[in-house]
Amino acid sequence: MWVKLAFKLFSRELRRGELTIIFAAIALAVLTVFSLSAITERISLNLAQKSSDFIASDRRLSSNHAFEPQLLTQANKFGLATAEMLYFDSMLFANDELVLGSVKAITGSYPLRGKITIKDSLTSPAYDVDTGPKAGAIWLSEGLFYALKVKVGDKVELGAGLFNVTKVLVKEPDAPFFSLSGNKRVLLNYADIATTQAVQPGSRVFHRLLFAGNEQQLSEYYTWLKPQLKSNQNWQGIKDRQSPLGNNIVRAERFLLLAGLFGIMLAAVAMAVSAKRYCERQYDPVAMMKTLGGSRKVIRNIFLLHLSLVTVFSIVAGLMVGFVLQTIGADYLATFMGTELPQAGFRPWLLSAFIGLVCALMFSLKPLLDLFDIPPLRVLRRNLGDTLAISRIHIALSMMTIFVLMWIFSGEIMTTLILFASTLLIIAILFAISRLLFAAGRRLGLRPGSSWSLALATLQKRANANAIQLISFALAIKLMLFLVILKNDIIADWQMQVPADAPNMFIINIAKEEVTPIKKFFRDNNIAHEDFYPVFSGRVDAVNGEKFARRVSKQEGEENDKNAKKGVSREPNLTWLASLPEGNEITEGQWFTYGVTGGNDIEVSVFDGWQDVLGLKLGDTITLLVNEQAINAKVTSFRKVDWGTLKPNFVMILSPNMAGKVPVTYFSAAQLHDSDTKAISQLLQRYPTISMIDIKSQIEQAQSIIAQVSLAIGFVLSIVLVSGALVLISQVQASLAERMEEMVILRTLGAKGRLIKLATLYEFMLLGGIAGLVAALVSDIALLVIQQQLFDVAGRLHPYIWLLGPLSGALFVSSIGYFMVAHTMRQNTQGLLRKLG
Amino acid sequence: MSVLSQLNVIQVSGLTKRVNTLEGSLTILSDINFSVKSGESVAIVGASGSGKSTLLSLLAGLDVASEGEIHLDGEALSTLDEEARARLRADKIGFVFQSFMLVQSLTALENVMLPAELAGDHDAKAQAVELLEKVGLSHRLAHYPSQLSGGEQQRVAIARAFIGSPKILFADEPSANLDRKNGQLIENLLFDLNKQNGTTLVLVTHDEQLAKKCQRIIHIEGGQLEKISEGGAANVG
Repeated sequence: MWVKLAFKLFSRELRRGELTIIFAAIALAVLTVFSLSAITERISLNLAQKSSDFIASDRRLSSNHAFEPQLLTQANKFGLATAEMLYFDSMLFANDELVLGSVKAITGSYPLRGKITIKDSLTSPAYDVDTGPKAGAIWLSEGLFYALKVKVGDKVELGAGLFNVTKVLVKEPDAPFFSLSGNKRVLLNYADIATTQAVQPGSRVFHRLLFAGNEQQLSEYYTWLKPQLKSNQNWQGIKDRQSPLGNNIVRAERFLLLAGLFGIMLAAVAMAVSAKRYCERQYDPVAMMKTLGGSRKVIRNIFLLHLSLVTVFSIVAGLMVGFVLQTIGADYLATFMGTELPQAGFRPWLLSAFIGLVCALMFSLKPLLDLFDIPPLRVLRRNLGDTLAISRIHIALSMMTIFVLMWIFSGEIMTTLILFASTLLIIAILFAISRLLFAAGRRLGLRPGSSWSLALATLQKRANANAIQLISFALAIKLMLFLVILKNDIIADWQMQVPADAPNMFIINIAKEEVTPIKKFFRDNNIAHEDFYPVFSGRVDAVNGEKFARRVSKQEGEENDKNAKKGVSREPNLTWLASLPEGNEITEGQWFTYGVTGGNDIEVSVFDGWQDVLGLKLGDTITLLVNEQAINAKVTSFRKVDWGTLKPNFVMILSPNMAGKVPVTYFSAAQLHDSDTKAISQLLQRYPTISMIDIKSQIEQAQSIIAQVSLAIGFVLSIVLVSGALVLISQVQASLAERMEEMVILRTLGAKGRLIKLATLYEFMLLGGIAGLVAALVSDIALLVIQQQLFDVAGRLHPYIWLLGPLSGALFVSSIGYFMVAHTMRQNTQGLLRKLG
Repeated sequence: MSVLSQLNVIQVSGLTKRVNTLEGSLTILSDINFSVKSGESVAIVGASGSGKSTLLSLLAGLDVASEGEIHLDGEALSTLDEEARARLRADKIGFVFQSFMLVQSLTALENVMLPAELAGDHDAKAQAVELLEKVGLSHRLAHYPSQLSGGEQQRVAIARAFIGSPKILFADEPSANLDRKNGQLIENLLFDLNKQNGTTLVLVTHDEQLAKKCQRIIHIEGGQLEKISEGGAANVG
């Protein structure tokens, strides 16, 4: 029988809007978690896929020696897809032109991830294909067409072989982002290597095996492979590829998670406040039911059923809305990114439903237990049970739950702790402020009849309740300010990395005598360009005489290869410079003193990221192998380099007295527009040995990621705003009955409507203003910590929010508060009295 | 138990209620002794703070006595826990309160049905409709408390008090929140229904006129039973 009664009461409470805030709060938490985790998961999956595209596979094994065939057969046994690649440099010959090209010979299954972009002729549009050239055919990059003066259909000699030029090679997924080989690239079928006779014992070649499969297969294979890896074999994963966007993506994900946390935190506060209020409003009916003979069991069943129904409905609603939102969001992003986003798995569903359940249970548990304990005597002694309303256990339980939820969702204890600690700080400050206000107001001695006095009096009178309200308001404002600032900072930071006038083309392989005429060419054609850097490549062979072994992989779980001696196998591009390049910062030591000492000793400034990898310290001597020539350089400084910028960056910069010791080419970067196509062709024809690397796509990708993240932030910010509004509404609603009573008294005593209205408005403005100010101060301090800890950005203070906080707080709180109370104020005293009855 | 005590539907002996305050123990009621016969109407009168509402709460098993005993329809309240007292109330007691105490989210009809539904009675609707007809609210069945006047709300409360045909009806200042006309109406209803149903009525009031409508008046002063006098209806009952 109680079930029928429970459903009846539930449907009425729903209709009366008593459960709306609880319902909305749970649903909001669920939809926030669902949409964010689904979208971030889909973006992550997509990025992982994209990153795989960067190495045309999921993992690769590199060596300058041929691999044992069993490595491939074993990989196939583990269910992995494989491809083979061989890199070598060889001369190409056609029309009496002899050009050195960098050849990539590939097996039929290449690329395992991503696509090859080609053109049928220099002027036709580009399109994607899944496989490389067939045996006997050769694909050349655009620069080679100019250098060799050939067109599609011509024949080209490569080593000892004669090949048909069938396509223009535009892009391979794993084309080097920046290398000296530039755009003299050749794609050849693996079967044709022998025909070229270019690869002889002792030739300088690079072998690669590519693997693709699921993580389990890859990990099983690696476990098998690891013990037999040779020192010249290098296992790499997608995370080893230094993408300038990688860091930004990690930051974006963290930001979204953080923002999601705020959404949850606010929804949780709204839930805790409204659950408590709902239960308080049930005190009388419960006391009445007990008086009328209702047993504790029946009452408990009724309200537990209510809680279950609200929970189930709100979780389902949250999941549904969340699903729609993430579908719309993901579709939009997919169109924007020009790619399909992979579907998210079960995790978002389970995680969000679980969080909804925890919210519902933990925030309503204590108020519900209090409700069951309401004595029937309350029907006669009206205030009995009210003492239960202020429950430290409820506060403690709610806070603990919020903490755990944040931790589960973010998976980061540090972020959670910082956010939580700053929240506790806000609570402490606001409690102190509300106490001070109370004391100060009493001393001031208020004049009756003025709206401000009335507002202050009301603030004082409800000092305790106000402290709670202040805290909720401050929390909501703090979280919103947090998001606004972080959004501004991160986006500004990124936009700085990819400014609108960033160079979009690298020009390499410039001979010394070409530097001046090319500079003139740029000037004549109004093309903006960077400085011309001398460039040569060299390998770090030894430090203080001790030689290095192969490099260690950064792939997770695969880096603990303790037997390998740490080192770097990559041949970085090196330069010499007289002054520290823009965007670099000395972290240790001093920039070159050459010119002051005038000595012959060569100095080197090293990227600080390599400091640990190579185990370097100031004063060490590095031996660089440049064209088999050993160069010793003394480490005199370490530099911080921002790899996020798409500008020429160098791992090692040598002192200018390096000039003349090794042969070099020059390197520059320019900003080219579509209208400059003719000029580019002229440039390539006039200087056929130079190479141009188009980084437009990288810039576009960076900009698209910035746009995506801005969009995602906008979405999250709106969720946080709605949660914030929910908190405010639940708080104001909680005080509505008391306000009604006061209004009746004031009206009955003859107070004018205008006075009451203004007093209410001022009260909310004061509350919002104080909350906003404290929120702004605490947010700014917490942000300093978060930016440094979490986002690796230099933290800075934001004085503008010290004004924005109180102003937006006053506006936000007063508008929502006033709007909610306005309805009550419009009713006449008689109507209010009846409602109170 | 004697035949006499069996006739006494309420038997109060040596009833004392003390509460702990910051200043120490405070005695609200001290050594109260009286009995109420089945079908009798009794008014408990006294000034504000005299302890009459406390007495009512103890009689109805809403609170527990510090000393002494109350027998309700033969059952000693001190031997019952809260659940058993709730069952006893469900079976034998009806209430009318000064502030009506209706559940705001239930209609007039549903409020009347509430005690029966809590007791697991499936066929309470017909009886509830009949009771609402008796109190003149047959046209207000689907109205919520906020849509009813004070007098109407109290009539709903009276109808609710009589559902399940309780043996005893406790009324706490039933007309105090109402204007004179509505107050009169409510009082008449209460006594009429009481007579029709043969219910025992225990009424707490400070209104002498209302008290006189009862058969006996118990005067409480400073937590003590001052005297028991006969009311105006003594000869009627």
